[in-house]
Amino acid sequence: MINAILVSVWAGICALDDLGTQMIRRPLLISAVVGLLMGDLKDGLLIGATLEVMWMGVGNVGAYAAPDLISGSAIGTALGIASGGTATAVALAVPTSLLAQQLLILYRSGIVYLNPIMDRVAETGDFDKVFRINYIPMLLTFLIRAVPTFLAVYFGSGAIKSVVNALPKQVMTGLSVAGSIIPAVGIGLLMLMMMKKGELWVFFIAGFTLAVYLKLSVLPVTLISLPMALIYDYATQKANSAKDNSESDSKIVNEEEEYDL
Amino acid sequence: MENSNNQNNKITKKDLNKVFWRMQCLNFTNNFQSMQAIGFLSSFVPVLKRLYHDKPKEEKVNAMKRHLQFFNSHVNADALILGISAAVEETTSEDEKETVTAIKTGLMGPLAGIGDSVLKFTWLPICGSIGASLAFSGSILGPIIMFLMYNIVNVGTKYYGIHWGYSKGIELISGSGSNVLQRLSNMANVVGLTVIGALVASVVKVNIIAKISAGKNTIKFQDMFDKVMPGLFSLLVTIAVYQILKKTNGKHAPLLILSIMIISIVLTYLGVFG
Repeated sequence: MINAILVSVWAGICALDDLGTQMIRRPLLISAVVGLLMGDLKDGLLIGATLEVMWMGVGNVGAYAAPDLISGSAIGTALGIASGGTATAVALAVPTSLLAQQLLILYRSGIVYLNPIMDRVAETGDFDKVFRINYIPMLLTFLIRAVPTFLAVYFGSGAIKSVVNALPKQVMTGLSVAGSIIPAVGIGLLMLMMMKKGELWVFFIAGFTLAVYLKLSVLPVTLISLPMALIYDYATQKANSAKDNSESDSKIVNEEEEYDL
Repeated sequence: MENSNNQNNKITKKDLNKVFWRMQCLNFTNNFQSMQAIGFLSSFVPVLKRLYHDKPKEEKVNAMKRHLQFFNSHVNADALILGISAAVEETTSEDEKETVTAIKTGLMGPLAGIGDSVLKFTWLPICGSIGASLAFSGSILGPIIMFLMYNIVNVGTKYYGIHWGYSKGIELISGSGSNVLQRLSNMANVVGLTVIGALVASVVKVNIIAKISAGKNTIKFQDMFDKVMPGLFSLLVTIAVYQILKKTNGKHAPLLILSIMIISIVLTYLGVFG
């Protein structure tokens, strides 16, 4: 009970952060604190790291309604710790995120009604009244994450335990396998955003090669990629300015012809 | 340009700091109709108050209505736009105010793109993967380092975005400035893709236990792939997923995730994965 309340309050705080300061918002940070609250930091870290890489490029793209990482991470981690296992956490985090996403869509459609209210405030010409409009959605956004989290954690742990025990072993193994393939989706989404030109593939392959053959972790790869980025930038600059120059050259020629009058 | 010499109508550093604090609530009112418009106005109020406190009511109402028109960008880019809008509001007279809306509308798309490609698609994954790799080894430093790395940039761009936007606003977006932003975005793509390539190797882990026995020789599929290139299968899976996403414009990511779960369970049952 205490655990459920603590975790749901934390989920509510993360929800406020997600729309406000945007300082937490990622599974690793959410899950680590859930682990701390549940008294099992080690599992919290492990589940958080798994979810973090799993959702790497997901929940970041503005164009579509992203899975709700906050409810998913909080509920998945809490129930995963309660019923012992990263695979359980991953298995729960995915459907939870997708379900909670529907609530978010409802919320964002629902607060459309703030617009006419705001228009009326604008008519009064009083600047001091403007900021108050934020308090309604603040309360809503807190509840929309905290309440489902509380219900799921409070009533879910017993049920989840018995379900997990009843499932054949291959299902849980299969789910952990899925957990290590799903990151490909996030990575694919990121690639979709960044692969603006075909030539950029070589950098992707170079990164892969550095990691596979030299066993480099992310930080050294990042540092190695910086000079590559600079050189690429200068090369494209040169190409562009060459174009510009040829254009301006022709302009100069045109001008000279005009002076020949 | 009709700049009143009245010192009371000059935006101060303090006003901009107020904008920064209010900006922390910018997205609460983000809705499907006007997106970030209400949030923009409620962050922008300190500036309007400074400029309009002694103006007639009608002008105040118009100022508010002007900033209630549809607006949507990236939150960190919003800071820059708030700063620039403050500068433009201060330097335009009452009948030149279309400029403000025009500049806001012109900036929101490109800056959202740059904010996304630098922060969301490059910096956040880098912080996340460094944090996650530490957390996998059970270190509490993982989330702490991720939090610090991300927020130095996150809070920094918001704070300096407002102040720079106000002081250098116009030159940032016209002429050479826009070119710098574009180049930054290009470089971010290169860094981001290199890092993502490295992530594929460490994050997408597929272990194939299937093998074919022919007499005394057993062929292990995993070894076959690894002989060509270690982690080749992970790379192929990722490229396949990318192609599927590309065909559907990334709309069906959740469906794809669920399919992967089901396929993984089935293949584990059949003894391919383990």
